[in-house]
Amino acid sequence: MAKLDLIDIRKTYPKSDLETLKGINISIEPGEFLILVGPSGCGKSTLMNTIAGLEDISSGEIRINDVDVSGLAPKDRDIAMVFQSYALYPNMTVRENMAFGLKIRKTPTTEIDAEIKRVSELLQIDHLLDRKPSQLSGGQQQRVAMGRALARRPKLYLFDEPLSNLDAKLRVEMRTEVKKLHQRLGTTIVYVTHDQIEAMTLADRIAVMKAGEVQQLGSPYEIYNHPTNMFVAGFMGSPSMNFVPITVLENSDAHACTELTGSDGKAQLLALPDKLKTYVGKKLMLGLRPEHISQQLSHHSETDLISAARFNIEILEPTGPETIAQITINDHAVHCRLAPDLSITAGQDLDLMIDVSKASFFDPDSERNILL
Amino acid sequence: MHSSSTSQGENGLGRWLIYGVLALMALVYLLPLFVMLVTSFKTGTDIRTGSLISLPQEWVTDSWQAAWGTACTGVTCDGIKGYFWNSIKMVVPAVLISTFIGAFNGYVISKWRFKGSDLFFSLMLFGCFLPFQLVLLPMAAMLGKLGLANTTTGLVLVHVIYGVAFTTLFFRNYYINVPDELVKAAKLDGAGFFTIFWAILLPISKPIIMVTIIWQFTSIWNDFLFGVVYSGADSQPITVALNNLVNTSTGVKAYNVDMAAAIIAALPTLFVYFVAGKYFVRGLTAGSVKG
Ligand SMILES: Nc1ncnc2c1ncn2[C@@H]1O[C@H](COP(=O)(O)OP(=O)(O)OP(=O)(O)O)[C@@H](O)[C@H]1O
Ligand SMILES: [Mg+2]
Repeated sequence: MAKLDLIDIRKTYPKSDLETLKGINISIEPGEFLILVGPSGCGKSTLMNTIAGLEDISSGEIRINDVDVSGLAPKDRDIAMVFQSYALYPNMTVRENMAFGLKIRKTPTTEIDAEIKRVSELLQIDHLLDRKPSQLSGGQQQRVAMGRALARRPKLYLFDEPLSNLDAKLRVEMRTEVKKLHQRLGTTIVYVTHDQIEAMTLADRIAVMKAGEVQQLGSPYEIYNHPTNMFVAGFMGSPSMNFVPITVLENSDAHACTELTGSDGKAQLLALPDKLKTYVGKKLMLGLRPEHISQQLSHHSETDLISAARFNIEILEPTGPETIAQITINDHAVHCRLAPDLSITAGQDLDLMIDVSKASFFDPDSERNILL
Repeated sequence: MHSSSTSQGENGLGRWLIYGVLALMALVYLLPLFVMLVTSFKTGTDIRTGSLISLPQEWVTDSWQAAWGTACTGVTCDGIKGYFWNSIKMVVPAVLISTFIGAFNGYVISKWRFKGSDLFFSLMLFGCFLPFQLVLLPMAAMLGKLGLANTTTGLVLVHVIYGVAFTTLFFRNYYINVPDELVKAAKLDGAGFFTIFWAILLPISKPIIMVTIIWQFTSIWNDFLFGVVYSGADSQPITVALNNLVNTSTGVKAYNVDMAAAIIAALPTLFVYFVAGKYFVRGLTAGSVKG
């Protein structure tokens, strides 16, 4: 188990005039599971490669257990990495694949055998040891790739989208396995994924990246419920957060509120948190997750921040456990989560409940969350 | 739509047409070989009296024995056997060395890009287009300076230098399709520059090694120009000997001996192609390495 500190990591690829990493600062505690997410090309793999030593950094420090390793060769950093393509050595059997790193480090044969036994039993690949990678299914190859990483007992594990080549069902299975593995071994892991559910379920903390910068670093709960800006808010969650432009008003009781206009042009009042009273008269971006707009729930009586409103249901998309409905608020398409057994058809009007207590509010210009 | 769903009948007709054309082509290519073969088994009288494509009246192997051991090639009359071994002594090291260097160059260019490696590769490629004639004189001068003029070693050196452009190209194009992540994984496992080459890349290179060996063997074995220019009397390759044999005129032209000698000279390349040929097509069409 190791502690990893990334201190102001900057990286510009040779022959490129753009900075790919623009000062990354992340501290990872021993045994922590950190997930990196972000759109394609934002520099996640680059960051992983710099941690592993496969790419040089332009400036900054990479500290493992308080020792700066940024000048060390990959083999001297004691890091193992699992790649998206698995990168198993095609000419070697599963056993040889796992033993390769140990052999190079001149580990005694008896120790290698014991280690391979331990890891292959842990990952349930002990019956595959004499096969070549080409004779394995995708899921099995994935396990072998993890086994190869585990066999050396390195200080730090890096996973670069390890599950993205698996089909949906296997991915869910392997996700659970990775989680169990982490709980059992308590290793420090940095893990890149495109899959939000993977990120939410596996991470102790999530770092959301965009264009070479960390936008927010926090627990899955914080990232989901208290996004620092509109990018993070829109990136995590599926369907993603609805953004509705609003103007903050003051009602007759001197509470903050706003008007929501449906597709029929009728305005309905929506109560806002009183913290927003300083913004009266200003324009804001209201961030509402689909689950914060639902059908009327009897046990969810109308409280201060839960308002009822009637909207025209334009599109219905049943997914099984829920139905995603599309409505229009202030000329913006808004998705809401409805119970699947609701008997409505598209085109009907429906009474909905909007829970503003969990909403986020953003400055429309800076896109920052104004309540944080 | 139309072409992808042809009916059985059309399919059959098209197929016969293709077979017909292929058979015709094969005939065009095989006829000279046939003439060579039958002529080499004919007696001198038979050749003069019979037609070009008629079978021998009487099958004799005299001309084969003569070509191998007694025919005159210039001043000596010991057949082509000595030259055959000269060629073997030249072609084996030249092929192996140039293939190995090509593999190594390809590995470096594709997996350890350095400043100017693209330029290096472009220059290498340029080498593939250099005509033989262009390098004749400078190469001769160089061999002289090295003290390798008229030796088999010198010839090997010439063929290695000339061949490395091609072998590098072959291996570079093969390795560029090997995922970089394989090399990264090996680096993290602690493997160094040479270990990655020996333990990871070379073992998966069999198809391209075969392609390169066939290519190099064929072009070096069949080379005449370098052979005639750089070899000495006792290091001449078989192509030069064949030329001398055919051009040595002592009375009647012994076509049967010429033909036998030509076939003997072609046998090794045929042999290599039969042994490794299946890899040739496979290696040239192989995309990425299956993980
Ligand atoms: N070897 C390289 N040379 C130059 N630029 C590179 C190199 N590798 C990556 N880049 C650039 O750096 C940026 C970040 O790439 P990176 O592979 O880190 O993205 P990523 O976040 O991992 O994306 P993805 O989610 O698609 O894997 C991209 O704009 C990419 O084009
Ligand atoms: Mg990536």
